[in-house]
Amino acid sequence: MSKENNSKDMPRRKFLKNFSSGVIGTSVLMNNLPAKNRADLAEEAETKQTDKGKVALTLTVNGEEKSFKVYPQTTLAQLLRDELGLTGTKIVCNHGECGSCTVILNDQAVYACHLLALDAAGKQVTTIEGLLNGEALHPVQEAFVEKDGLQCGFCTPGQIMAAYALLKHNPKPTHDEIIKGMSGNLCRCAAYPKIIESVKLAAEKGGF
Amino acid sequence: MKSVNTDSALHVKGQSRFIDDLPLPQGTLHAAVYGSPYACAENIHLDLLSAIKMPGIAAIITAKNIPGENQIGNIIADEVLLAGDHVDYMGQPLAIVVAETARQARAAVDRIRISGDLKKPVTDPREAARTGLLIAPPRTFNLGDVEKSWENCAYIFEGRAESGGQEHLYLEMQGAIAEPRENGKIHITSSTQGPTAVQRQAARVLGIPMHKVEVDVLRLGGGFGGKEDQATPWACMAAVAARLTGKPVKLMLRRHEDMHMTGKRHPYSSDYKIGLDKNYKIIAYEAAFYQNAGAHADLSTAVLERTLFHATNSYFIPNVKATAFSCRTNLPPNTAFRGFGGPQGMFVIESAITHAAEELGIDAFEIQKANLLKDRDTFSYGQEVKHAQAQACWDDAVSRYNLDDRISKINEFNRKNRLQKKGLALMPICFGISFTATFMNQANALVHVYTDGSVGISTAAVEMGQGVNMKIRQVAAKVFSISLDKVFIESTNTTRSANTSPTAASAAADLNGHATRIACENILERLINSAAENLTLNDVSRISIRDGVVFNEDNPSSLTWENLVSQTYLKRISLSAHAHYSTPEVYFDKEKEKGDPFAYHTYGTAIIEAYVDCLRGTYRIESVNASHDFGESINKTVDLGQAEGGIIQGLGWMMLEEIIYDENGKLQTGNLSTYKVPDIYFAPEEMNVHFLENPYPSAAIYNSKAIGEPPLMYGIGGYFAIRNALKAFKPDLKKEFIAPMTNERVLMLLLSCEEKTEKTIKTEIPAAAK
Repeated sequence: MSKENNSKDMPRRKFLKNFSSGVIGTSVLMNNLPAKNRADLAEEAETKQTDKGKVALTLTVNGEEKSFKVYPQTTLAQLLRDELGLTGTKIVCNHGECGSCTVILNDQAVYACHLLALDAAGKQVTTIEGLLNGEALHPVQEAFVEKDGLQCGFCTPGQIMAAYALLKHNPKPTHDEIIKGMSGNLCRCAAYPKIIESVKLAAEKGGF
Repeated sequence: MKSVNTDSALHVKGQSRFIDDLPLPQGTLHAAVYGSPYACAENIHLDLLSAIKMPGIAAIITAKNIPGENQIGNIIADEVLLAGDHVDYMGQPLAIVVAETARQARAAVDRIRISGDLKKPVTDPREAARTGLLIAPPRTFNLGDVEKSWENCAYIFEGRAESGGQEHLYLEMQGAIAEPRENGKIHITSSTQGPTAVQRQAARVLGIPMHKVEVDVLRLGGGFGGKEDQATPWACMAAVAARLTGKPVKLMLRRHEDMHMTGKRHPYSSDYKIGLDKNYKIIAYEAAFYQNAGAHADLSTAVLERTLFHATNSYFIPNVKATAFSCRTNLPPNTAFRGFGGPQGMFVIESAITHAAEELGIDAFEIQKANLLKDRDTFSYGQEVKHAQAQACWDDAVSRYNLDDRISKINEFNRKNRLQKKGLALMPICFGISFTATFMNQANALVHVYTDGSVGISTAAVEMGQGVNMKIRQVAAKVFSISLDKVFIESTNTTRSANTSPTAASAAADLNGHATRIACENILERLINSAAENLTLNDVSRISIRDGVVFNEDNPSSLTWENLVSQTYLKRISLSAHAHYSTPEVYFDKEKEKGDPFAYHTYGTAIIEAYVDCLRGTYRIESVNASHDFGESINKTVDLGQAEGGIIQGLGWMMLEEIIYDENGKLQTGNLSTYKVPDIYFAPEEMNVHFLENPYPSAAIYNSKAIGEPPLMYGIGGYFAIRNALKAFKPDLKKEFIAPMTNERVLMLLLSCEEKTEKTIKTEIPAAAK
C-alpha cells in the first residue's frame, strides 16, 4: 500500500526536481523559479505591468459608469468577460463572424470580439445581463423562452441582443426584416425557425 | 410550467454557465497546447528553451512526463495523449504549456520550435486502403446472394459516391478545468458527452484508480458527437497538468485550435452497384465504403459499423453485400457526428437510386416507394422488421403535403423559366435506435426525494441543448404525479452516476429516462405503502398520487405529497433510490454479422424542394415537409426543435459545409470565414414536421421515440432536390455524386459533361447564357 502511494507521488516529486534543475527536452520543463512564493511573484509582475502600456478607459456598462486601465489590444468582449465577469457575452469565433458576442453599443448591435474596448470609450454598452429589469425578463427574453428559440443556449445571449437591437430600431419588422436583422448570428443547433418565431412574438409584446 | 428546455430562463439571461464562464479556484493555471505543424513526420525533436523563458510559464509538459500510460484510445489503444518521436496528423498535441494566464501560455506555445523527418502524408482513404493502412479489418454485411442475383436483374448500375466531412462547430469550444483535491484525487469539470470516458482515460494517463477521478458536467454548448470521445484529450491534459503542477489548471481551446486539432464527421468515398427488376424492385445492392478515419481509431470502427447497418436506408433489398474499410490517414482522427456513419451510408444508396432513376428516365421516388420496408422484411444484419412505419410516413407525407400539386407547380415553373429551375426529392429514412455495441445500452439514475418533497435526480445524461433534462424531469413528475418544478436535474457526475455510456446514439432520454422511471417507481412504491398505513387502508392498489395529492380510489385524501414524504421519512423509510436500466433483447454477433442490435427503428419521409439559379450556381432550399414517426412524443416542443435543427444541420452537411485539407494535410477551412455553416438565411422558409404518432409499443421511454439523430438524414434529400433542379436545366447532367453540393460544385456540374454528350452541352450553354 505504501509502495503504491509512493508511486503515485512520484510524478509530482520528479516534476519538482526537474523544476529546480531546469532539465530540458525529455522531462517536464519548469520555469526555474526561486523559492519565493510564486503567487507573490506573479502579483509583483502583474503590478509592474499594470501601468506599462495600459490606457485609461471609461465607459458605461448596463447603466453604470466604469473606469479601467486596459491594454490597447483588449477587445470589448474580453473586457466584459474578464474584467466585469459579464460572461453572458460569449466568445465563439473571435473573428466577428458568428454573433455570439453581440452587445449593444449606443443602440447599435456590435460584435464585442471585433471591437477594441477603447472604441467603446465614453459610450453606453448594454449586455444580456443589462436587459433584465431586476429579476424580471425583458420581453425579448420572455419571447425566446416561450417560443423555445434556443437549444444549447450558447448563442442565445447574442441572438437576444441582436433581436433587441433590431426591434429597438424597427419595432414592427416584417418576416424578411427579421431574417436580415438576425442574419449576423449563427446558431449551430439551427433553432432558426423558432428564433424567427421568438422575434415575432417579441415584436408583438412590444415595449421597446 | 411549460415543458421547454430546462435551462431556458438561465440561457436567455446569460446566466447559464459553461466551462469558460465558471469562477476559477484560487491559483488556477492556464494551459495551451502545442500541436504538430507536420501531418506525418518521424524523429521529432522539440526545442522548448525559448518557450520556457517566457513570462509566467509554470511548466511545459511533453509525452515523457505523463505519469501513467500515454494512451487514451477508447476502442482501440492507438492514440497517445501527447505525441513523442513521431506525429500522425497536423495539430496533433505534442506539448502542454502551463502558465499563469492563457495569453502567456499561448505566447510560449508560439516559441516552441520543432524539427523532424517529414514524410508524405496520406489523406485519401482509397490510397490508404490500397497500401493496407486500415484501422481494423474490413467488415461485410451479407444478405441473400448478391453474386447470383445480378443475373435476375433487368437493370444494373454502378457508380461512385463521395460525401465530405463536417465540422461539429459546437459553439462552446473543447475545454476542461482540472483541480487536484486531497488524497490524490482529481476533480475535472469537462465539456464532454462522455463523463465516464474522461474519467477512465484520465485515470489511465495519471496512473491512478478511477475512484480518484471525479468528472462533472453541467451542460454543453453543443456537442453533436464532437464531444463524445474528443472531449477526452483536453480533459486528460488538464488533469496531467494539474497533477504535475499541484494547481488547478484550465484548458480551453480557441476556435481555430479546435477546428485544426479535432476530428470531424468521416468523409466517405464509396462504390455502389444496384440491380433492379422491371418493376423497379431493387433485387441486389453491393457497396464498398472507404471511410476516412484519420490518424487514430477514435470511434471510427463503431461509426463504420453504423454505415453498414444503414447502408440500405429505409428499403428492403433481398440481396445485399456491403463492405466497409476504415482507412488510416494523416488527418485528425475523425469521430462521432450526429448520425454516426448512418448518413454516409444512406447517401450512397440514395445516389445509387438516383443514378438508376436517371438512366431509366423516371423519378427517383418511383424506385424509393417500390422498395419501402414493411413488417417481416429482414435488414441485412438479420433483424426482422417490426412495426414498420416506412409506408405510413411516406403515404402521410405524400398526401399531407400534396406531392402531386408540388410536382405540377415545379413543372410549370420549370416550363416558364429558362435559367431558374426547381427540383423536388423525397427522402425516406429509417434509423436504428440503440448503441450498436450492445454493452453500452445501459444507464443508471440516482433519485433523492428530500423531506420537503422536492426531488433531485442524477443520471448519465448530459444536457447539450437536446432537452434530455426536461424529458427526465417529465418522467419523474409523471411517475410521482407532482409538478415539474418540484424536480431538479443535477449535473452529470461520475460519483453519482458511475460506469455510464456517453450521451449519444439518440438514446440518452430512453436509457436514462427508463432508469429514472424505475428509481422513481421504487420510491413511489414505498410512499404508497406508507400512505396506506397513514390512511389505514389495506389495499394499496386503491391508493395513488394525483397532482401532488394522495387519492383513495377517486377520492382525494387529506394527505399531500409533501406530508406523505415527510411522514414517510419519520418512519425511517428510504426516500432515495438508485436504479439501473439495460435495453432488453438487443444483441449482435460480430462473427456472423447478424443479430437484433436495435431496440426499435424510427421512420420518416420528407419532401424537399429546391430552387437553383442555373446561371449563378446559387440555390436555396424552399421547403422541407416531413412526416416523422415520433411514437408518442412526451415533449413536442423539444422534439420539434430537434427535428428542425437536425434537418438544417443535415442540409448544411450536404450543401454548404466543405472541409478541405491540402496535400500536406493542412486544414484549409479552419475558421468561420472559410467554413460555412447554415445561417438564418439558409433555413428553409417553409418547414413542417408532422408528428406521425403510432401506438406500437417500443423500448422508447413512454414510447416517445428517439429524435436526436434521425431528422439530420432528411438533409440528404436537399442534395437530390438540387440535383433534380439541375437536371431540369441540363437533362444530361453528369452522373457525379459528390457532396457537399456547394455553389461552386453546382456551377462545375453545369459546366461539365459526360464525354459522350459533350457536343450537346456545348450548344446548350451559350444558349442558356443569353
